[in-house]
Amino acid sequence: MTTAGTPMPDGTGDFGSNSAYAVKLPIFEGPLDLLLHLIRIDEVDVTDIPIARIAEQYIAYLDLMRDLQLDIAGEYLVMAATLAWIKSRMLLPPDPSALHEEGADPRAELMARLLEYQRFKEVAGEIGERHLLGRDVFSASAHGVEATPEAEREIEVGVFQLVEAMRRMLGRAGYSGAAHEVETETITVRERMVAVMEALAGHGVCEFEALVREDDHWASRAVIVATFLAILELTRLEAIRLYQGVDEAGAPVGAIHVRRRGEAGDRGWAERVSELM
Amino acid sequence: MEREHERRIVEAIILASPEPIAPARIAAVLPQCNPSQVRARVDELNAEYAEQRRAFEIWEVAGGYQLRSLPEFAPYLKQIQTTRPLRLSPASLETLAVIAYRQPVTRAEIEQIRGVDAGAVLRSLLDRQLVRIAGHREVPGRPIVYATSRRFLEVFGLAKLGDLPTLRAIEALAEAGMAEEDDAPAPSAAAGEGADPLVDPDEEREPGEEQDAPAPSAAH
Repeated sequence: MTTAGTPMPDGTGDFGSNSAYAVKLPIFEGPLDLLLHLIRIDEVDVTDIPIARIAEQYIAYLDLMRDLQLDIAGEYLVMAATLAWIKSRMLLPPDPSALHEEGADPRAELMARLLEYQRFKEVAGEIGERHLLGRDVFSASAHGVEATPEAEREIEVGVFQLVEAMRRMLGRAGYSGAAHEVETETITVRERMVAVMEALAGHGVCEFEALVREDDHWASRAVIVATFLAILELTRLEAIRLYQGVDEAGAPVGAIHVRRRGEAGDRGWAERVSELM
Repeated sequence: MEREHERRIVEAIILASPEPIAPARIAAVLPQCNPSQVRARVDELNAEYAEQRRAFEIWEVAGGYQLRSLPEFAPYLKQIQTTRPLRLSPASLETLAVIAYRQPVTRAEIEQIRGVDAGAVLRSLLDRQLVRIAGHREVPGRPIVYATSRRFLEVFGLAKLGDLPTLRAIEALAEAGMAEEDDAPAPSAAAGEGADPLVDPDEEREPGEEQDAPAPSAAH
């Protein structure tokens, strides 16, 4: 985590828009995370939080986020209200009739939540440091028979479901609204067919989504559309099969997997593509 | 059957298996061999690999055995990787941790613990099959409950859920104060928490370790 509150103009942006600044702020996972951070840098005891001071710092942080034109999620505002409420309760003289109520200390519930959250944050860090498959260690990948996990089965869908799937995918990629692509790309379905088969050259299987992503972001709208058509075409040519898991009720669930039919070296699909296009 | 030969057969089966293969399934192929003998052969194989300084070893994950490259080779293997490399954000890890220790758990419970909306993270974990829908809770609204999947155990290199590190007890956290929270996660504090579904001895993942009937079913 970086140190708090050091906005760093990167100087290269255009100054007219919202994106003029590249801001370096600690990334908090939510209001509880932010509170833990404030408590830690203040070196105060979580069981005896100086609410007034912490609340002030919390609000100051939200103001900073606002100044930097960052979106402040609703949860942060709810927490600000909670802190203000606790603060006001602490100012009141204790109500003798409420002494035996659970929550005599108005901070108790917040403290419990902070401690609970902290344990999960800790353990999340721990499990994240394990040797993860696909990141730190890789398994020997044998594929003799066309191995379909028992839980998955071939997808049976009609044309409307396909169009719907396509629309959903574009929506998730954030292309639902007005597009503002300026670069001209020339992408052919055929190129994407080759790319799909190349992606399948190794394992013989890959996730549908992986085909329309480049590293960490979605491919352009044009690539997604072309890839979608390429996959339909390859399925029709019997070069690939599409699988997806099903839940107890038999409804498709989870990632769609594209699997190669035939053997690794089989170039039959390429000929069929050439004949067609 | 000769022990040396038996060991080679176990090796071949694990090598050729597309996913972690249970000791019982291997034992079924070998005449007069029980799962615990399979485990012994795997231990011997791992000792052999270590002695010969091989680049791989056999892990016990998700109730089965799998041959995996040693972590030190990751930088090279990443460069020839054809699938999307695994990336897990802090938000994903936290959500996974909550699900792993509290399963079956509703979305509202996850959000209560983390203090933020969990929708997008849950969707991505479901997409990546690290999390599964484990049914509904029979309360008004019948909310969906989530649990970790077999794939979760595989990716995190866990033989079973009980091998997850122990969740530090709240009392221990409160006593230690917040000052050194980034330090050792004090595995000492375990007992006080009745709610944890995981009673775990050691977090060290040692392939071929003695494990009784692996049951990664996640239900409790």
